[in-house]
Amino acid sequence: MNEQLLNVSSGPHIRQKLTTGNVMLNVALALMPAALFGVYHFGLHALLIIAVSVISAEATEFIFDYITKKPNTLKDASALVTGLLLALSLSPSVPLYIPALGSFFAILFVKCLFGGLGKNFMNPALAGRCFLLLSFGTTMTTFQVDSVSSATPLAAMRDGVMANAGQVFLGYSNSVIGGSALALLIGGVYLLATKGITIEIPASCILAFTAFMAIFGGQGLDFTALALHICAGGILMGAFFMATDPVTSPMTSRGQILFGAIVGILAGLFRVKGSSADSVSYAIIITNMLVPFIDKLPIPKPLGYKGGEYKKPEFPRAAINLTAITLVAGLALSSVYLLTRDAIEEQKLAASAASYREVCPEAEDFIHDEALDAAVEALAGAPYSDAYGRTYINDVIVGVTADSTQAGYVISVTSADGFDGAITLSVGISSDGTVNGISFTELNETAGMGMKCGEDDFKNQFAGVSVDSFTLNKAGGSTADNEIDSVSGASISSGAVVNAVNTALAFYADLLK
Amino acid sequence: MQTKTFKGGIHPAGHKELSKGHPVERYLPKGDLVFPTNQHIGKPARPIVQKGDKVLAGQIIAEADGFVSANVISSCSGTVKAVEERVTSAGTRALCIVVENDGQFTLAPGVGKTRHEGTLSNKDILDAVQAAGIIGLGGAGFPTHVKLSSKNPEGIDYIIANGSECEPYITCDDLLMQKENREIVEGIKLVLQLFPNAQGIIAIEDNKPEAIKAMEAVCAGEKQVSVQPVMAKYPEGGERNLISVVTGRDLRFGQLPADVGCIVCNVATLHAIYRAVFHSEPLMERYFTVSGNAIASPRTLCVRLGTNCSELIQAAGGIREGCTVKKVLFGGPMMGVALTTLDLPVNKNNNALTVLAEDDVELAQSQMTACIRCGRCAHACPIHLVPQLMAEAAQRKDYERYEKKLYGLDCIACGSCTYVCPAKRPLMQLFKQTKAAILAAKRK
Repeated sequence: MNEQLLNVSSGPHIRQKLTTGNVMLNVALALMPAALFGVYHFGLHALLIIAVSVISAEATEFIFDYITKKPNTLKDASALVTGLLLALSLSPSVPLYIPALGSFFAILFVKCLFGGLGKNFMNPALAGRCFLLLSFGTTMTTFQVDSVSSATPLAAMRDGVMANAGQVFLGYSNSVIGGSALALLIGGVYLLATKGITIEIPASCILAFTAFMAIFGGQGLDFTALALHICAGGILMGAFFMATDPVTSPMTSRGQILFGAIVGILAGLFRVKGSSADSVSYAIIITNMLVPFIDKLPIPKPLGYKGGEYKKPEFPRAAINLTAITLVAGLALSSVYLLTRDAIEEQKLAASAASYREVCPEAEDFIHDEALDAAVEALAGAPYSDAYGRTYINDVIVGVTADSTQAGYVISVTSADGFDGAITLSVGISSDGTVNGISFTELNETAGMGMKCGEDDFKNQFAGVSVDSFTLNKAGGSTADNEIDSVSGASISSGAVVNAVNTALAFYADLLK
Repeated sequence: MQTKTFKGGIHPAGHKELSKGHPVERYLPKGDLVFPTNQHIGKPARPIVQKGDKVLAGQIIAEADGFVSANVISSCSGTVKAVEERVTSAGTRALCIVVENDGQFTLAPGVGKTRHEGTLSNKDILDAVQAAGIIGLGGAGFPTHVKLSSKNPEGIDYIIANGSECEPYITCDDLLMQKENREIVEGIKLVLQLFPNAQGIIAIEDNKPEAIKAMEAVCAGEKQVSVQPVMAKYPEGGERNLISVVTGRDLRFGQLPADVGCIVCNVATLHAIYRAVFHSEPLMERYFTVSGNAIASPRTLCVRLGTNCSELIQAAGGIREGCTVKKVLFGGPMMGVALTTLDLPVNKNNNALTVLAEDDVELAQSQMTACIRCGRCAHACPIHLVPQLMAEAAQRKDYERYEKKLYGLDCIACGSCTYVCPAKRPLMQLFKQTKAAILAAKRK
């Protein structure tokens, strides 16, 4: 007995069983409801996407470790979680090279090259997703099920169509693979219950987001709209699974509350003001970069520095503080909005008047015609014609000259099929049916591509032409009057504009000719 | 009374059932007994015997050298075999007195003589405590007569009897409270005599219902002494947390409990005070747990101080068949000291021998991964520090931030952060080193 060598080390001599691998596997387990529902709802291809994403993540890490002669780090299971998260945030219709490339980028560039697990400065899965969004915009934002492509609940809502919130909550909607709000909530509650995450980030993130959307979302306290904003668009996956990534979130409880609130507000801001449906992804990776600064904030006073009194746990007070901050910020922003609202409205009117004048230059004045207004109202916000996609007539105005003779019509049309949302334009049609020209009042397409629709080269193709309808020539080099050369690389934007003009022409042909 | 607790802390498996059920027996050593002269905090005691001297049980063999020091008492009768330097449990060398045990345990004259109440002055009490060589038996080993000689006795509001015993495996205080409940309360009353404005509170973790019941039974008729159950959680028995939980007063690094009007004594210390004052019994024996998963028949024993550890392992049934001992600890597995050899004596402030068949630290080292900043350490810290940020600062040697911004010196080295860390990082070890480095730099 005495001859035997004893191990000597500093205490503590016992350790909890939990390892980093267990922590990560627990997250993966919590993602299972969402993954299973995704596969059930979207089919085998979704399963393939998940498999490819995970395999690509694991393989990238394995090869990196092998080449750089580092110990194999696969057993910490963080690559598994990254692959899984990335896959669940993809559209179920993406081709398989998308998850492969995304996971490769996420693991190699965002994680391994920064020193591996624990050293990455932003969430690898989200960075991978944003990389894919920037590189493969169309593919990433096409939601196609059974080869039918349709709008996501949020895109539909922007066009005034409310999806069934209950269906969206369950996940029976067009969304990413891990889009079932119910399944995500189950996973989130499981993580909370098993102490895989703490309540601070999800709670402050969702609260701040909801408050922001209620104030600035444009739909006020409309329950369905708020429910759709929360259930669709990734805020739940972001709040429970991505913002809570411990590596890229703050250490202290109050830091986490601040972090969550910033994510929530940025996600709301991007959703309201941005054209992209991926507000949550960008909100989180931007806030990730603030974490080193948040961690520099003073830590809560430890025992013995609180003025001698033993205090109850502080969470309620922090929550009250947060609510107060959110309210103050909300009030400040809404008062700015109220103050500037009239000015903005005036500017909009001026812009419309300018655009009317541009497309109907002979007119001195623009007047509404009761019969035409009634005809527009009768459309009740439905697309005017089945032939031109989601295109809507907003307004029809009669242009009159100084001597009160009719100079032509201005028809304001919106197409919701733009690459980055809605395109609104005014089409001037003279009394003999010739298109005088078009002018955009709302154009938020991709810079350098879709935005070129607003340039004269494209717009002037419509001017002075008298046809029943235009067709889009994607190849370019048109000779016929009714052919419009597409802006190179922006056939979706160009097509939406052509559809909008055609809708105006159809309305003219039906009612004004 | 309602159970109280603090924010933070951990719940390691208690394993108290291993040794709890076995009745406490007195174990009389057969081999030589060894008495280091540096068992307490302060100056080592000065030996007053020489090789060849005959000594009796209860006889002072080394005298306190100055006020902050403590007498060393022989716990057996026999012959002094050597006065020499030996390796002690701390791993350093110290002067030790080795007594060849004659197996008779003949008491020195006057030891065990009962005194009568009512005739005791404060000085009588302090003198008796000092003569008996009593030090903090919970682990710190601070000389008790120094702790009780407060400059401002009126300023003390609470005497806290620490019976929380939050370390896994250890049951010696639990069983002492069950068996010697009356003596502990008498000990508290002796201390209360020194502090006229104080009330006595016995804090016991709620995983010891028998001890709570036994102590409550004795306190029933007492006006000044009561029992306060506290939640079974590590480190409930840590001085700072215990004071905070029981009185609502918090102290910071550099403050003593007396600064917030508290004195904390382990229940075993209070028991020893009672024995010393009323029975003229110097500190020769203590309750001592021999447990751990490598022990065949774990139990708590009443042992003579100076007894060799290997003898105690045999007294607890020896090593379990088929078991390979990996680690032997003085104390429990959280803050215990790993021993290099079993050829060591039981000191006054050693409360347990924990013998483990596996080494979690060895396992943890093989599994260590990168910090994922999960924050479990911050949730576990009983002082509400943020160990993850402290570790970052310590590794960068940013001692300014470590001390001023992160309150790093307030770390009590309880090891809770290290216990919970899923990445198995050696946080407590790093914090101990860093604290030592900062304090060393300050002394320059």
